[in-house]
Amino acid sequence: MNHLPQAWGRPRDDVYGTYDRSYLQTSTPNSHTQSPAVTGTSVLAIKFNGGVAMAADKLASYGSLARFTDVKRIRVFDKTTVVGFGGDISDMQYIDRLLDSIDVEENYSSNGNTLNAKNVHTYLAKVLYKRRSKFDPLWNQILVAGFDDDSKPFLSSADLLGTTFSAPHLATGFGAHLAIPILRRLFPEEMPVENIGKEEAVAALRECMKVLFYRDARSLDQYSLAVVTSDGVELKEDEKLEAQSWNFAENIRGYGTQVN
Amino acid sequence: MFRNNYDNDSVTFSPQGRIFQVEYAQEAVKQGSVVVGIVSKTHAVLVGLKRNAEELSSYQKKVIAIDSHMGIAIAGLASDARVLSNFMKQQSLGSRLTYGRAIPLERIVLHIGDRAQTNTQHYGRRPYGVGLLIAGVDDSGPHLFEFQPSGMTQEMVACAIGARSQMARTYLEKNLEQFADCGRDQLIGHGLKALKETLSQDKELTVENTTVGIAGLAREGSVGKIENFKLYDGQDIVPLLEALEAATSGTEAVGAESMEVDS
Amino acid sequence: MKAVENGGTAIGIRCKDGVVLAVEKITTSKLLKPGANKRTATVDRNIGIVSAGLVPDGRHFISRARDEASSWRNIYKGPIPTSALANRLGGYVQAYTLYSSVRPFGVTAIIGGWDPESELLVDGQVGTGPKSGSGGKVEGVKAGGPALYMIEPSGLYWGYHGAATGKGRQAAKAELEKLDLSAGNLSLYDGVKEAARIIFIAHEDSKDKDFELEMTWVSSLDGPTKGRHEEVPTGLLEDAKKAAMRSREREVEDDEDRPKSHDGERMEE
Repeated sequence: MNHLPQAWGRPRDDVYGTYDRSYLQTSTPNSHTQSPAVTGTSVLAIKFNGGVAMAADKLASYGSLARFTDVKRIRVFDKTTVVGFGGDISDMQYIDRLLDSIDVEENYSSNGNTLNAKNVHTYLAKVLYKRRSKFDPLWNQILVAGFDDDSKPFLSSADLLGTTFSAPHLATGFGAHLAIPILRRLFPEEMPVENIGKEEAVAALRECMKVLFYRDARSLDQYSLAVVTSDGVELKEDEKLEAQSWNFAENIRGYGTQVN
Repeated sequence: MFRNNYDNDSVTFSPQGRIFQVEYAQEAVKQGSVVVGIVSKTHAVLVGLKRNAEELSSYQKKVIAIDSHMGIAIAGLASDARVLSNFMKQQSLGSRLTYGRAIPLERIVLHIGDRAQTNTQHYGRRPYGVGLLIAGVDDSGPHLFEFQPSGMTQEMVACAIGARSQMARTYLEKNLEQFADCGRDQLIGHGLKALKETLSQDKELTVENTTVGIAGLAREGSVGKIENFKLYDGQDIVPLLEALEAATSGTEAVGAESMEVDS
Repeated sequence: MKAVENGGTAIGIRCKDGVVLAVEKITTSKLLKPGANKRTATVDRNIGIVSAGLVPDGRHFISRARDEASSWRNIYKGPIPTSALANRLGGYVQAYTLYSSVRPFGVTAIIGGWDPESELLVDGQVGTGPKSGSGGKVEGVKAGGPALYMIEPSGLYWGYHGAATGKGRQAAKAELEKLDLSAGNLSLYDGVKEAARIIFIAHEDSKDKDFELEMTWVSSLDGPTKGRHEEVPTGLLEDAKKAAMRSREREVEDDEDRPKSHDGERMEE
């Protein structure tokens, strides 16, 4: 008799013969989303003294095709929280609608109970984790910025696996590789967030966006920039990288039309 | 057996537009032993009078903690209250799980109100035979709500439901202005005094029959924003009763006077 | 079913640039928290509902309205038009008169909303896409605007310029008719004043009871509420209340001078 757990509850092969599994099988296994379709690239965010700043470019790529160039990937929730999306654009739109319906429900009572950024992040992480557990993930990496229960600046990430991570500066996509080292050099770990000014933080983000535009083939020079402070959210959706210089390009072998 | 032809179920209106089954459920609340609730600017307190079925049995629970920020006091069918309190615990945990937020009181109260209303509109259901006082704190401060079997929920400054609760309400109305600025201990004191008003001549507030629950905003400088819902039962209640004793014996004259007015 | 019309009077006025809802909340106990226990509710963002009758039934009605609005959004990715909401709720209320397993609603509800005239972004919209052609849209078509409906326990509903229900509805209706609302000249701010005045008049019959006046409003996107259904700000509410009380006093004085006024009854015919 086979005592292994794999055999529990099954008819004994030595009595009934091996089970014909073909009766159970449908033609193919069920499958859900295996890869994203139209995607956004990096989102960058950094905490500063009294708030959080976030930036994301406005490109939505279809594979390597730059498909849409006016996509706003930073969404505002309840005038106090911003959510930045990397990854699948239609999943982002779905999540945006989820947040919108929550916002509608939250405003049904006019008393002072509101959801802060931390609450929104907890919720989104739960949604993402639930979907990945159904093997039907929402293909996004999300940054949530705003304030926590103690009105301190809050910045945290959640991804398609339901993983959450928190740090004084965060970036998704290509930015995680290119922008984070820059931000770490500008604002070392041991440097308290209180020492970082708003202008300084925004300037750092702009600098990172420029590096990303030079280096990330799925990026754009137009971007959204949000700054959350206790006064509310200041969202600019028509930012553009200035003073670009592509002079170095002609020295690169294999770039553009070159003779030998 | 029946008062009239319109009280067989909760889906029949009487010609006057009344639903008798709901009114009978309201009677069940009046049969339950009394509970009192009061709010100040900083605290929300629940006070209850527990009963035992017989000499040797234990006392029925009257105040139930739902979450760390809120609790309820019950008057009426305890089993119906348990259904509601379990539901509330689930809702409240659900909010903590999905949002990491303590559920706002108004929201959970409206939720049980909606549930109770459903029972009054469908054949084959009966209204809950229990009244609740819901007290706690959320981001908008301390709150007290009353819940009735009809599904009616109201936010109150002070409230009393259950047997002989009219006496307590009279006390509450008389002292209404004082409540807002009460400290924690004072508020409990008022609650106990209101409760005492409802007692018949031969009864006393004792360690066995008195129960108190209180939640509030945390004092300046303490950890966290709220003072968690704390239940006082059994021996824990002794200091509160002693404080009441000390307060009332000092102002015996006032106490006697108010008794006269009530009767 | 008659007696369900016993709660405090509720009215709605459709003005040219918005809708006002007002309700007389009878204070049943001194122990009630003043200013709490709202009787008007928001559905989606741009619609308000106030009801007279059994309060818990009113809550049920509102919760259904919110579900309808949210399911509309799920399908159409935008806010439900007030007319569509009234239609769906009319159907829902009527269904509760059809079966022996349920009882009808014990409320008459007034639904007021502002449907946006300009084209809204679709929910979840992130960009605008290429601009070419009209996309099937016709220029200059008028859409949206203020809307006011009243639904009875039978499920019957009509659109109104001014609607009243509850105990003092007769007096309120008489006053509403005097306003000549169908001309469409009344401004929202004047509507607020009138609504307060009418609630005070409707309260005359149950003068011995205390009451709170609760008022909400909704305006166009460029109006004071930016297309949202909100409580009337405290300052404005207090002004309207004071004005209402003053005009009430004046009328009482006038009534004493004149032998008797049958205004209300005449209008009713």
